[in-house]
Amino acid sequence: MLLAGGQGSRLGILTKTVAKPAVPYGGKYRIIDFPLSNCTNSGIDTVGVLTQYQPLELNRYIGSGAPWDLDLNNGGVFVLPPYQKGKVGEWYRGTANAIYQNMAFIEQYNPDYVLILSGDHIYKMDYNKMLQFHIRNGADATIAVREVPWEEASRFGIMNTDAESKIIEFEEKPKQPKSNKASMGVYIFTWEKLRKYLTEDEADKTSSNDFGKNIIPKMLDDKQVMVAYQFDGYWKDVGTIESLWEANMDLLSTPLPIDLHDKKWRIYARNPGYTPHYIAKGATVTDSMITEGSQIYGHVHHSVIFSGVTVEEGANVQDAVVMPGAVIHRGAIVRRAIIAENAVVGPGCVVGEETGNIAVVGNGITLPAGVSVTAGQQVDASTTF
Amino acid sequence: MLKDVMGVIYTGENDANLRELTMMRAIAALPVAGRYRVVDFLLSSMVNAGIRNVGVIMQKNYHSLMDHLGSGKEWDLHGKHDGLYVLPPFLTRENVGVYSGTLDALRSNTNYLSRSKQEYVVLCNSSIICNPHMDQFIQFHMDTNADVTLMYTCEESMLRDEMGTYIQVADDGRVTDMEVDPTHPTHANTFMEILILKRDYLRDLVDKGVAHGHHELSRDVLMPMVRDGNGRVMAWEYTGPAWRLDSVQGYFKFNMDVLDAEVRSKLFADDLPVYTKIRDEMPARYGENAMAVNSLVADGCIIEGTVENSILFRGVRIAPDAHVKNCIIMQDGQVHSNAYIENCILDKQAVIKRNARLIGPNAYPIVIAKNVVI
Repeated sequence: MLLAGGQGSRLGILTKTVAKPAVPYGGKYRIIDFPLSNCTNSGIDTVGVLTQYQPLELNRYIGSGAPWDLDLNNGGVFVLPPYQKGKVGEWYRGTANAIYQNMAFIEQYNPDYVLILSGDHIYKMDYNKMLQFHIRNGADATIAVREVPWEEASRFGIMNTDAESKIIEFEEKPKQPKSNKASMGVYIFTWEKLRKYLTEDEADKTSSNDFGKNIIPKMLDDKQVMVAYQFDGYWKDVGTIESLWEANMDLLSTPLPIDLHDKKWRIYARNPGYTPHYIAKGATVTDSMITEGSQIYGHVHHSVIFSGVTVEEGANVQDAVVMPGAVIHRGAIVRRAIIAENAVVGPGCVVGEETGNIAVVGNGITLPAGVSVTAGQQVDASTTF
Repeated sequence: MLKDVMGVIYTGENDANLRELTMMRAIAALPVAGRYRVVDFLLSSMVNAGIRNVGVIMQKNYHSLMDHLGSGKEWDLHGKHDGLYVLPPFLTRENVGVYSGTLDALRSNTNYLSRSKQEYVVLCNSSIICNPHMDQFIQFHMDTNADVTLMYTCEESMLRDEMGTYIQVADDGRVTDMEVDPTHPTHANTFMEILILKRDYLRDLVDKGVAHGHHELSRDVLMPMVRDGNGRVMAWEYTGPAWRLDSVQGYFKFNMDVLDAEVRSKLFADDLPVYTKIRDEMPARYGENAMAVNSLVADGCIIEGTVENSILFRGVRIAPDAHVKNCIIMQDGQVHSNAYIENCILDKQAVIKRNARLIGPNAYPIVIAKNVVI
């Protein structure tokens, strides 16, 4: 069950019209490609995607699930928006409530275990290994954790464990963390147990119906068997403008911190079907990643260029993320910036600065010629020049 | 209206002049333009016109073609009704599975023709690359009440001595003369081996042709029809770019022409997308000292050296200090450090090792066969 209903408001104007899991990443992917590809590569062939906020783009993107081999007769991918039940119809009130409202969907498949995922992170993980760990430990719940730098630990949900990986305490954003094992928001539950706790949680009117705040603490109080599954691979939160930019820049370092060439663990994506990209005479491209359908006539250095992008002659793009269909007109300078889908940077514009926060030009925004966008500025339809 | 049209693509044409490139595959399966196969163009063109039933007649080395087409999913031809039909050769008492021409091939597949429900058939070969507005062609055929309509081009580069079919077209679009494989073409209009006619009419022509011991559609059926005037044969002009892939040079020229932005915008027009099989490679990566100019680069490539006027297919690696000029490098090819190659065509998975130098003459590129290490 993939929780994809959140707005991701920390991504600012990038999630104004699309849900966070549909935000483009890494030249040809969207964030949701990672959990979906992980599922199909882990042998999980029945996936529910819970949507609520701005679902149109996400629905279109998921479609039949064919890009991830999830267009199956038995199972496959299902988009699950909130729906009316009898006289009652309500929005998803929290992560746990979202799953509670879809218990009937889960029961159709009569599973032994349920995997709960979020659409917030870039990582390659074999969920099947985690499930084997869950089964071996006879656990009721397994929570994937990752060691984070101690100084950042107070930003995460922290698991305090004993020597056998049993979770003894869970602290949400502790001021004085006792451990640096942060929850990745990836849970496996034995379905029978989860069903019981979801039902109880729903009956509790004081609960905020959230996994981290309610379900997991309650299960710990009840001395259920809860274990932490340690994951050591690349894992990047892309919940903020800065971290989304950083995660893209990570793909330009050598060796690649996350191997996307791996034929045994491909990350699948819906393909726009363009020609290969074209690098013109007089263009320079160094230290960058470029995908199909782009035309480069200018200078690109240390940047990630998505599909169907045009960089005109004399334009200078550096340390930037240029999303699908964007156009950088001649003489424009783009530095430390995210140019969102189908945005147009007019001739001679200057977007971003050599240092400071990341500048953002929102989806479909056209910057008139000669405009400057300062570090950290976000340009959307309400911005005036 | 277009629901009433089916497509048939014949892929068994002569490919001797393509040497190693077609040793292991049909022309239709030849990789072109960085990520496509030849068959993608006409197949997409048909699909873009709304054709929902396409048969691909296979002859030689058709494994890679079948692998490429799969279920037809990429072309949206995998529905319950109609869709993509792969038609490999088979042995029967009166048929040895080797076709001497289009007529022969159609005779062997009369079952498919008679079982299809569409009223019209668009029939084509696979050695000419173009991307026509097939819907306009079909509409022209219906509007002019023709028995057969041929697609032609005035493009001079399509003229060849001793091969090809050339037609004379009157002002009203009627075909008034036709010559097949002339010593020198006397007509400037090249028939592009794409035609439309009623399915019943085609079946009739095939039956009659076979009964008279004929094999080829152009020479044995269309030419007499035009000359004797016993059929209304019309012609529709295609004004977009077209190429004949009838030799290594022709193949090389087509790929190099695609480097021209204007050619690309015509061949891959926004309203005529070309679909192909998807490989899910990560985007191409360029290293610190990479130098790429006037080149087309597909996903999955890693470029650390110099690339000029070249076409790199998916997954190609160009090592630091390697230099590639005027080359076509197919899927997963590698050029190791300090190697220099010019005017070469590297087939899939070919590897050029360190310090190697390989320079082909301008008009006659060197072909390195699949899996060869140099």
